[in-house]
Amino acid sequence: MVVPTGQIVGFLGPNGSGKTTTMRSIMGLVAIDRGFITWRGEPITDHIRHTFGYMPAERGMYPKMRVREQLVYFARLAGSDRDRADAAADRWLERMGLTDRANDELQALSSGNQQRVQLAIALVHDPELLILDEPFSGLDPVAVEMMKALLVEEVERGVTVLLSSHQLDLVSDVCPDVVIVSQGRIVLEGAVHDIRNRSPKRYVTATVGAGDVAAFETPVSSWDVVTRADGVLRLSVPSSCEVREVFDAVSAIGPIVEFAFAAPELSEVFIESVGQGES
Amino acid sequence: MTSPSLLVARREVIQRVRRRSFLIFTALVAIVVIAGGVLAAVIGDDSTTSYDVGVVSAESSGDEFVSILTNIGTATGITIDTTVFDSSDAAAAALKDGDIDVLVDVGERTDTWQRDIDGQLASLIDTGWQAWSAAGAARDAGLTDDQIVAILAPDPLSTTVVDPSVDDLAGMLIGFVSAALLFISIATFGGYVLTGVVEEKSTGVIEVLLSHVRADQLMAGKVFGIGVVALLQFSVTVLAGLISLRISGIDVPSEIWIGLPATIGWFIGGFLLYSTLFALAGSFVSRMEDAQGAAAPITSAFTVAYVLVFTVGSDPGSVATRVLSIIPPFAPLLMPLRMVTGAASILEIVVAAVLLALTVVAMIRLAGSVYARTLLHRGSRVTWRDALRRPKSLAD
Repeated sequence: MVVPTGQIVGFLGPNGSGKTTTMRSIMGLVAIDRGFITWRGEPITDHIRHTFGYMPAERGMYPKMRVREQLVYFARLAGSDRDRADAAADRWLERMGLTDRANDELQALSSGNQQRVQLAIALVHDPELLILDEPFSGLDPVAVEMMKALLVEEVERGVTVLLSSHQLDLVSDVCPDVVIVSQGRIVLEGAVHDIRNRSPKRYVTATVGAGDVAAFETPVSSWDVVTRADGVLRLSVPSSCEVREVFDAVSAIGPIVEFAFAAPELSEVFIESVGQGES
Repeated sequence: MTSPSLLVARREVIQRVRRRSFLIFTALVAIVVIAGGVLAAVIGDDSTTSYDVGVVSAESSGDEFVSILTNIGTATGITIDTTVFDSSDAAAAALKDGDIDVLVDVGERTDTWQRDIDGQLASLIDTGWQAWSAAGAARDAGLTDDQIVAILAPDPLSTTVVDPSVDDLAGMLIGFVSAALLFISIATFGGYVLTGVVEEKSTGVIEVLLSHVRADQLMAGKVFGIGVVALLQFSVTVLAGLISLRISGIDVPSEIWIGLPATIGWFIGGFLLYSTLFALAGSFVSRMEDAQGAAAPITSAFTVAYVLVFTVGSDPGSVATRVLSIIPPFAPLLMPLRMVTGAASILEIVVAAVLLALTVVAMIRLAGSVYARTLLHRGSRVTWRDALRRPKSLAD
């Protein structure tokens, strides 16, 4: 598995597939039995690890410590001197909109604000590589968008990001590249766009204004009905299929209100490939 | 770059010293200790050995009796204030009013008490009377003042005790107090180490910490930082104790100048040993509720050591105490007692200190290697056996 520098890579897979263990081993928290991990071609030392920022899946901060003090503390543990740590803490408080909460105890903050502090802790020492374990879990939609925007900014500054998620489709707009694992093995990797388009299937979603969707019979044997209910029909067809051919077939039911012909979502590709692996 | 251990220690000191509970507790202890001294000064005023003696003397010879009596008091560490009366009526009135404890009429050769005879004062007066009478008789016999002094105050015997039994009450008391102080401080601050470690595990902050700091650095910093806080509180308590003694007017026994440094020295050793073990125990559990259970073996050993101070320790010279005071888990509590009472030889002290130091180093090494694995373990409690025997299975 390779994370190109200066890029953001999504590390995806269901719970228990080994994402956290992989990230922990990068951070030196667990020893690896086999294989090796390098950063810019060099084995990772404690010194190099100071240029990494880490946000574990189990969030962790000191509940009774003041917000700014935590930022300064973690910046200094990561090797920043006092002045740099102070300046970075102030900068990140400002950026997270928490300047007025700087001297509050962490536990006084809302969970959304605590998440921001957690992210700031990962970033406060200006890391070159960010390892974020499930950064979006527990966030409301607004916070997810904020986090995504922030990550894109960091990548533009040259930071490399590896972020994990068990919700495969959530990250596709922020991670152009993904690595998908299952049971400790890489199942798919590459550009999201390519992975989806490589799939031999296309999904058709059609909303029909009138007529009985349930009565629809597939005219071609390679087409499969995924769901049909409440005026919405969902089909799985081979990628070689023409859009017009499907559109015409579905039009036979009644007037089409909405029609989509798209490559499968990452999660669907994943389920397809895991299914193949098992068979 | 500042060493990670120092950063960890610094955080511990700042966060703990600033807590309101710490400030209140420390202030409270100091206040209670000083209040004890004030109380002793107020109540103890009558019970301190100081007497008022009225002397009825028409002749100037009574002055000599007064000065002999005062000298005897000084020599025995008892303050004797004397008042000389011209008439026995005025003296009787003073005795009745309680201004004087006893009335001695030199001319009539009587001593008069209002209610109870104070044995100590009576024997002082007897001694004074004998000395004064003897001096008078000797002078009548024509001896010179130098000869009289030679008879009455000869050069004292030089005393040697071949095999002194340890019967040093002040020493024992200081030993017991120092053991109690050590027990409370180590239990309290060792407990802070325990809960501090569990807190870092239960809040998950440990994972962020370990991504920048090695487990042994983290543990060293935590133990060191909390140790500094403990010493700080310890010093405040000791200082309050000294102030209290000063206020109370009680003579500070000389044993305290052995007791203080001994207590502080053994506190450092004992704290390092026990808090390292507490840190280890803390690394076995992920929830605060399980912390006490994991620490139970250590707490038990420590409590046994404390009980031993008051049982076996009450005979500081016995073989049992001698042996136990050298064994590392017991030494920090027992050795100060033996040092204060003078029962410990230099060799025993050195052996006990070296053994303790070696054990501390060994424990820190052991803890450092086990700690790194147990810290990230979540869920069920790691047993001591698991931690020591099956190192690999924990890194799941």
